[in-house]
Amino acid sequence: MPSADVVVIGAGLAGLTAAIAAAESGAHVVVLAKGHAATHWGPGGIDVAGIPAASTPRDGIRLLAGEPGHPYAFLGDDVAAALDWLRPHLAAGGVDYVGDLDTPLQAVPTSIGGTRRAAILPAGQAAALSPWASGERLVVCGIAGFKDFWPEAIAASLLRERIWQGGSRPASVTSISVALPGLAARHNLNALEIARRFDDPAWRATAIAALARAIAAVPGSGGRVALPAVLGIRDHAAVLAAAEEHLPAAPFEMPLVPPSLPGMRLYAALRAALIRAGGRVQVGEMIERVEHDGQRVTAVVAAAAARTYTVRTGALIIATGGIAGGGLVAERDGRLIEVVLGLPVEAPPVEEWLAADAFDPAGHPLEKAGIRTDTELRPIGADGAPVFDNLRVAGSTLAGQRYIGERCGDGVALTSGRRAARSLTAVPAGHAAEPGSKRA
Amino acid sequence: MGEAHAYDVLVVGGGATGAGVLRDLARRGLRTLLVERGDYGTGTTGRYHGLLHSGGRYVAKDALAARECISENRILRRIAPASIEDTGGYFVATPDDPDDYVAGFQAACIAADVDCEEIPVAEALRREPALNPRIRRVFRLPDGSVEPWQLIESNIADARAHGSDAWSYQRLVGMERDGARIVAATLRDERSGSLTRITPRFVVSCAGAWSGQIAAMVDVTVTMHPGKGTMLIFNQRMTDTVINRCHKSSDGDIMVPVHTVAILGTTEQRVEDPDRYEITRDEVAALISQGEKLFPDLANMRLLRAYAGVRPLYQPPAEVTAAALKDGRQISRAHTVLDHGAMDGVDNYVTIVGGKLTTFRRMAEDTVDMVCGKLGVTEPCTTADEILPGQVPGKTYWLGHRLADHEAEGGGDADLLCECEFVTRPQLDAFLDRHPGASMDDVRRGTRVGMGPCQGGFCTFRAAGVVGERAGHAGATDVAEQADQAILGFLRERFKGTRPIAAGRQLQEQWMISGVYEGGLGVESLIEHEAPEASREVVSAQR
Repeated sequence: MPSADVVVIGAGLAGLTAAIAAAESGAHVVVLAKGHAATHWGPGGIDVAGIPAASTPRDGIRLLAGEPGHPYAFLGDDVAAALDWLRPHLAAGGVDYVGDLDTPLQAVPTSIGGTRRAAILPAGQAAALSPWASGERLVVCGIAGFKDFWPEAIAASLLRERIWQGGSRPASVTSISVALPGLAARHNLNALEIARRFDDPAWRATAIAALARAIAAVPGSGGRVALPAVLGIRDHAAVLAAAEEHLPAAPFEMPLVPPSLPGMRLYAALRAALIRAGGRVQVGEMIERVEHDGQRVTAVVAAAAARTYTVRTGALIIATGGIAGGGLVAERDGRLIEVVLGLPVEAPPVEEWLAADAFDPAGHPLEKAGIRTDTELRPIGADGAPVFDNLRVAGSTLAGQRYIGERCGDGVALTSGRRAARSLTAVPAGHAAEPGSKRA
Repeated sequence: MGEAHAYDVLVVGGGATGAGVLRDLARRGLRTLLVERGDYGTGTTGRYHGLLHSGGRYVAKDALAARECISENRILRRIAPASIEDTGGYFVATPDDPDDYVAGFQAACIAADVDCEEIPVAEALRREPALNPRIRRVFRLPDGSVEPWQLIESNIADARAHGSDAWSYQRLVGMERDGARIVAATLRDERSGSLTRITPRFVVSCAGAWSGQIAAMVDVTVTMHPGKGTMLIFNQRMTDTVINRCHKSSDGDIMVPVHTVAILGTTEQRVEDPDRYEITRDEVAALISQGEKLFPDLANMRLLRAYAGVRPLYQPPAEVTAAALKDGRQISRAHTVLDHGAMDGVDNYVTIVGGKLTTFRRMAEDTVDMVCGKLGVTEPCTTADEILPGQVPGKTYWLGHRLADHEAEGGGDADLLCECEFVTRPQLDAFLDRHPGASMDDVRRGTRVGMGPCQGGFCTFRAAGVVGERAGHAGATDVAEQADQAILGFLRERFKGTRPIAAGRQLQEQWMISGVYEGGLGVESLIEHEAPEASREVVSAQR
């Protein structure tokens, strides 16, 4: 029977962070995931606290930590250390992140012609982070035949002052659309297909030359150019370097609707870091049940394809992504079910789940639903005591946060994941794995 | 205030009935103008389940309504085949349905001239395996599914070809009465606010549940009994056949396959104001639990949205009973033409009330017969004889037609903007060419962009991008506002439909879409923080 020191359920930012931290401390770690997580549909930045009232992520953490029941109340002080710890892991996977907790939150333009407040972004989006200089131009550059990026509509929207949320903005915004080699007559191109072409050095050189010519033909000079986030997948760093070298304006990627290349690169870097640390990830696994002895979790029973198998484990971390990730399921009768163990879920009454307007600035009360834990991320039962000694919950399944609306989900995920792992690996041994046993 | 050219008749209301009346009047030589306060088919017509009745639903209680249904069903198949999917219908007896109703059903159908054939249960289950295996008897009837927006559009096109016209987003805001006649009507352009005065010889109100509001403008009382019906859209066609329960009509007893989805109807609940009603979670739960008697696995299927419409129910004041006020199903589904000359002393004004979409053409014929009688016009009605414009005889709709047409045209090489409903860039361009100034909601109804299982999550901003690109090329100054309206409107409408059904996979999908658009793309930065849009009158979602 396969066994592990720590089983992590979920392969998003929280689960992979927890797994890397546990593996680093020498534990045998297995990540079991139903599928890919929010990384693949998010913008690939690290959103710590992008709330309107905050000037920096640090300021945002402070404000959110003051909200009743917010996980930053007990995690907030760890965010800086968690970021410092994660950054080299990502860099080793070819994705440099810029910005820190004191970087001013900047209104970064998006591919629907809006802006989002961000401070910590991958290098490919970093050029969007600095304030706009007086007279600086923005060129929005699309790819002919690509249906997930509409430069005219984006540029028209970004010309409006109010979109920039009171921050600095470009002096001019123009749009162009460029035919890239071999793609001009194509239809139904997707972001991944274009990114893979950019990975090819020969194609890349001609494509970037074509982009450079088109951008140079736009009146004005310098400034920045917004491109759809398709600048490579395996070899993104090389594509970005070539773009920075040859384009006559500072390039930055605009994240798109899924599949998100910046998010896929983040996932790949996290996965590589975990594998380097000796852990493994199995995607396509459905959790059937978790076995326990009343005090401790003892095994996870998973199903993939046609087989069911049991992994004995010393500890379990649930990082299943809340409602969006499928870790919490809302029933029609108003109950919320935690899918792995049926843990108690803190949630508002069903009549109060959703506000009347989709975009209510106060958010929807249901967003804060989740699992209540102690400061070591142990879920708390109805009696106020931890449910199992060796069980932890991390990420968007935690109660008290609006991980989308408060733009804090990434900060909570990586900080809670790391703390969950550290608190487990500090727990005295007592797990079931025999030394030298074959890993799951 | 602008003055419009002379019209013989003003038709108020751009639902199926209004469009049918417009067409009929135009074909009989009366120059007619139809006005609609929003887009066509956004009232009750666009908010029903899409059933083309065979009449089977009414045979036991209302044989007259049943006869009208089957007769119009046959006519519509002839004159509007492209708007109809010939799904056929099964009336199934579940273990809960009373034996005496089931035993008398076939005879009642035959008496009302409704084709009805009993088929073996095994055959029905073979064709529709998601049906409850415990059903006891199955009758096959000629039910179908009908696309209301296309139907309205082709009625209006025919009227235009006969010298009449229709204006959307024009709200009737007042009528002037001089003794026994209406002498003028004032319209307000809902987009620009400008007013237009017209002086028709005759006014026909096809305002359905809103008829009382129109009548009040000339001090006439029409007491409607608006009956709200709530419907649920599922993300799949668990049946390719319309399924009815073989019993006295009730809640949650009909499932209609519509394009790529299926719609479970309905409820019946009296509302005071046809612009203000909500859908409660209890209603949704009750519908599902009734629907499970037809499809036992229904609770596990993904619900896309809930919406509701208001039936234009009417009873003459003298006949209103306490029972009818309590239960709208007691009120006849037949239609009545109210002659305000005889009833209220306004000689050039009629109102058509009651009825249902299947019989809209017959309702129009009866109404126009009365109008023509009063105006001394002797032209006969020809609307049942002539096929509607843009339709091919005998070619009914089928689900694969967009793909087939696309392949027939060479195929493959067009951008697919909406994968769920197979809407290509050329199709969207063609729609926008035909409808300059169309809102994104109009685009949705006109092309079905965003109406499939993803509910606009992935096609919304592509459609907005196309609108932006076209507006930019056309030199429009409000490109960004058009794109904002497209994206925010889509997301708000989608949220509205999800709100009463929020649970399970659809809630997860809603959260994911929030993650993409709010978390990743900053959609909230597009919101202009001003007064809420006036168009958010109706609390329930659109279909």
